[in-house]
Amino acid sequence: MTLAAGIDLGTGAVKAVIFDVTDGKINWVSRHIEKIRQRDPHKLAREALDLAIKDAGAEIGDVGYIATTGEAESLDFSTGHFYSMTTHARGGIYLEPEARAVLDIGALHGRAILVDERGKVLGYRMTSQCASGSGQFVENIARYLGITWEEIGPLSLQADDPEKVSSICAVLAETDVINMVSRQISTPNILKGIHMSMAARLVKLLRAVKVTDATVLLTGGMASDIGLVAALNEAMAGQKVDVNSKSHPDSIYAGAIGAAIWGAYRHDKLTRLDELALAS
Amino acid sequence: MDTWVKDMRKLNDIVDYCQTLYDDLNFTAARDWKAAKPGRHVIGYMPTYVPREIIHAAGMLPLGVLGGGDNLEVIHGDAYYQSYICRIPRSTIELAVTKRLNFVDGMLFPSTCDVIRNLSGIWKLLYPDVYSRYFDVPQNFTSAVGGTYYVQELRELAEGLEGISGTKITDEALNRSIDLYNKNRRLVNDVYNVRQVTPWKALSWEVYLLMRAGMVLPVEEHSQLMTDYLAAVQAEDRPKRDNCRVIVQGSFCEQPPLNLVKSIELAGCYIVDDDYMLVNRWLQDEVPTDGNPMENLADAFLNYSGETACKYVPEREDKGKFLIDAVRERRAEGVIFAAPSFCDPALLDRPMLSGALARENIPHISFKYAENSGQMQPIREQAGTFADTIKLWGEA
Repeated sequence: MTLAAGIDLGTGAVKAVIFDVTDGKINWVSRHIEKIRQRDPHKLAREALDLAIKDAGAEIGDVGYIATTGEAESLDFSTGHFYSMTTHARGGIYLEPEARAVLDIGALHGRAILVDERGKVLGYRMTSQCASGSGQFVENIARYLGITWEEIGPLSLQADDPEKVSSICAVLAETDVINMVSRQISTPNILKGIHMSMAARLVKLLRAVKVTDATVLLTGGMASDIGLVAALNEAMAGQKVDVNSKSHPDSIYAGAIGAAIWGAYRHDKLTRLDELALAS
Repeated sequence: MDTWVKDMRKLNDIVDYCQTLYDDLNFTAARDWKAAKPGRHVIGYMPTYVPREIIHAAGMLPLGVLGGGDNLEVIHGDAYYQSYICRIPRSTIELAVTKRLNFVDGMLFPSTCDVIRNLSGIWKLLYPDVYSRYFDVPQNFTSAVGGTYYVQELRELAEGLEGISGTKITDEALNRSIDLYNKNRRLVNDVYNVRQVTPWKALSWEVYLLMRAGMVLPVEEHSQLMTDYLAAVQAEDRPKRDNCRVIVQGSFCEQPPLNLVKSIELAGCYIVDDDYMLVNRWLQDEVPTDGNPMENLADAFLNYSGETACKYVPEREDKGKFLIDAVRERRAEGVIFAAPSFCDPALLDRPMLSGALARENIPHISFKYAENSGQMQPIREQAGTFADTIKLWGEA
């Protein structure tokens, strides 16, 4: 039995998971998620790991590999680090085995990742400009509008005449939103406009990695925003991008899942290499 | 500035001391060395290689001038050069015109590339009363041709230095200096070997700083520093991480910012060999300490010196062999080509080297930097995904 931990230190939240990988069977044992909210992310990562291990009924010594991803390169208790593309690709395949592309939409940026059935990254594109196409921007706007994160998606779905915002710059987009509020544009129409701008950029990424006729899994924190998912499907239909986009209730854990599964893989590989070295 | 205190043996103290030397763009350690005794002289040199033994034998301090790094704002230096060349000549000019090198009694400009050669010309125009020399090396490696030429080049260098000091460099003094540099190179190799075996203990950015200290300290002090570092690092308990092992290639002249070295390591790559500051280990075997020292130095250059883009490889099939050998000997899993922007030697060499690696199925990536590069995120992403590829899809 190989217990492996995956820690995804994102910009907005830290996610920790524990997996048991035995004889090729992958079993998700426990999880923990914590919003960062201006606290020490490294301390939170350690706490999230400890809680996930406790929930798994294990001790830290039972964990064969602690894998990190996201912004966690410098955590001093990790065994190894994997980059976000690598982990979201593997986590995406775990959550949706049919997926051949992963659209990771996090707090700071979005990226489209083309993958094969093993979770190997075949190509990727990511948003290169500023944060207007990101979860952090949406969260800021929600705060200005006085609504909670959970209300964003359902409100966006109620829009009847959405107003598009700048898709280039978060500062301009925020100015757009202030103007809309002063023009008494309804909250659903503002939110839908933001989702449409974000969706247009994300579809461009998917087109850039040449995803066609495939299932795309949405991962990252924004994958749970049903308003964005709806806007994305509309944008894909409008731009004739023939893909089937899906979200998953555990999409936010994709990075941590991928890290844990790859960590278990590395643990087995290194153990085999050590045994070979000893035998020779 | 404090000189090296022998009872300061803790790893942090050693690294902090090296960091202080690295950060000091006024070269205070070298200034202090010169000021400590009347009649002392300091000779600056640029990458890639000069025979420091001759400078030492003249009773002088060889001072490595490796540009201004990422803490020097280049204002005057840009006026001397066109925009489409590397940064090291501009920042070196900046160091000079801002009087940071005004204590230097001479400057050597090795035959690294046209830009460095042109810098030697600018230096002569700017400082006609200061000794400066374009130090050429042979590209023909036979004793009769290259050897004869190089011995003459070494003698001319020695005569130039004798002109500054007013005293003759004797064979005995030069052999003593060769002996000291032999010891120094052994220690440099020991540090590299320890890093190769336990890269999680001898971190690359620390090793980098330790080698940089050798650019400004007297060879005796640098050797002591490395001896102490080796002892301290063995005693250090640092966790081993699941990183891949890489060789960094192409950084032999303009140096990367320290953050770039740290970023490669942070991204999941243990650097097990590099070509930073090749002057420290250009000669790859002991130089004999008896007989004719000039001929011995020439023989060492011709027959067992390192390889880099500014040294000609006569046989085409041998091109890149040194890198493949290094991958095998250091048990590296990949190569990162990291060259300065506009570095003609490194960037023109790269296709030949990467071709040689590709033929051996050795993974490699490449990127460019400048000594003042500040944005490390793209490099971390690139090095990190390279490490992932090796760890997850490679053979090891």
